[in-house]
Amino acid sequence: MTRRLIDIFCVFQIQLARLRREAGPFLLASVVFPLVMYMFTSAIGVPGAGMAGAALDPAHRMRFLSGSIVFSLSLTAISWLGYLLLENRFTGRLKLFATLPLAPSSYVTGIFLFALAQAGIGTTVLITVARAFGVRTSVSVPGALLLVAIIVLTVLCVCGIAVIIAARARSFSEGSLLTDALGAGLVFLAPVYSPPEALPRPLELFSRMLPTTYAARGVQTTLLGGSGVGLDLLTLAVMAAITLALGFRVMRWQED
Amino acid sequence: MTSVPRFTVPPSGEAVNVRGLVKEYKDGTRANRGIDLQVRRGEIVAVLGPNGAGKTTFLRQLTTELRPSGGEISVFGIDVIREPQKAKRLMGITPQEAGTFESLTARQHLQLFARLKGLSRKQSIAATAEIGEVLGLTEHFWKPVGSLSGGQRRRILIGLALIGHPPLLVLDEPTTGLDPASRQAVWNVLRQAVIDGTTIVFSTHYMEEAERLSDRIAIIDTGRVIAFGTVRELVSRLQDSYRLSYHDPASGNGHLRVQRFATFADVQVQIQRLRLSEYSIARASLEDVYFELAGHQFQNDDEPAEVLQ
Repeated sequence: MTRRLIDIFCVFQIQLARLRREAGPFLLASVVFPLVMYMFTSAIGVPGAGMAGAALDPAHRMRFLSGSIVFSLSLTAISWLGYLLLENRFTGRLKLFATLPLAPSSYVTGIFLFALAQAGIGTTVLITVARAFGVRTSVSVPGALLLVAIIVLTVLCVCGIAVIIAARARSFSEGSLLTDALGAGLVFLAPVYSPPEALPRPLELFSRMLPTTYAARGVQTTLLGGSGVGLDLLTLAVMAAITLALGFRVMRWQED
Repeated sequence: MTSVPRFTVPPSGEAVNVRGLVKEYKDGTRANRGIDLQVRRGEIVAVLGPNGAGKTTFLRQLTTELRPSGGEISVFGIDVIREPQKAKRLMGITPQEAGTFESLTARQHLQLFARLKGLSRKQSIAATAEIGEVLGLTEHFWKPVGSLSGGQRRRILIGLALIGHPPLLVLDEPTTGLDPASRQAVWNVLRQAVIDGTTIVFSTHYMEEAERLSDRIAIIDTGRVIAFGTVRELVSRLQDSYRLSYHDPASGNGHLRVQRFATFADVQVQIQRLRLSEYSIARASLEDVYFELAGHQFQNDDEPAEVLQ
């Protein structure tokens, strides 16, 4: 067990070194873009509302903030992480791991840990910056735990998808196109910035299959001080279990 | 000072035992057609062969990276196909096209990979210092790998294989891209590793490297080992093992001609017959053996690498 933990931590450390070096682009993806989306949706969300969303009611503000948090998670855990995994695979770095007596599951777990660290940084910065824009959250300690649980499950769910794409893509460009498309698609095809009833009926039905639908609803509920996120947590847990199981299954050192 | 531990080597079994190794891809292409090779403990074996002959496929199978379609491979008696993780604990591997992590320093590479090989923190620090010293990497320890030259990165990759003193090193073209001094340094490191009890299997395109470094040489062509032995044994397989080089007096511009003969007496007869005053005589080299056995491949060099229909 200790051996496995050391392996996971080493993989995490290797990825973390990259995050330190590329902190600028990471912050752009995890904070700046979602923040711009927050300001954009606030500006168009209510006619006559300013850039800071002064005329918005708390529910709208919270929807846009939770939407931006989910947007950030999607950008970092699918697009950014997928790019990193694809780069590891197609530049021969993955081969270095494959030369070691390292279990593929330890590699994947190290990557998940890294993704969770990224998500933690991104979400904390977004909530902190949102406060500067006058958004007041009312999260209790149990609510914070629920928020963490939702974020962890969302990240695991979308990370699993990133691992599957990175392991199966036939080329770097194919993989990065897929992760980019999914990163954006998971946000814009789901009721992340809008209420579900605002979507066309077919899209609304389709969005029920997307983890971001439940993530956005769960984050919004907890940020508003609510705790009725049981169904969202359960759905995310089932989705995460499926994508994680597939992610662990497709990640192998040995080629056929 | 903390000493760097050595892996425990199983008491019995040849270092490498390969029998009837086959690789056939789903589309029907066959990269290996039945490789047989036995490597004794403590020897260095070079694997030679033209591009697309199956060298890298063989080494990838040996290092568990590629699943064989048939045959057996064992390392110190451990079945590589059934117990890949256990087998990898006994191997230090340098793949041909491995990449380094540009944001890590050379020291971080060695230390983190030492940890991943199972060394404790103290042991990994000691092993990193040791490898840095022998491969001349110490002065680059604190630089991100992205700022190092290709040769320095290659030495880091070799260092990752060497770290922790694995009993078997499998190196796919380890010195490609290195300058002569670096290549010599790597040879010295590998020779020292063998003195310390390590077995080495490596592929190369450099005849000189194979000749100077290895105890035995395996020549692979069209997915099979077509010759295996010491340089002397391989050369003795050539029918005409004497080579006479001279400028052809019959041609107006004195073209260099090379002729081969079975005996030294035959060479002398030719010299007298042509009344040569300037010439050189040499015994056949490994290169001659190579061209004799596998040289035909260069005529088909447009075939895809590592895949032979």
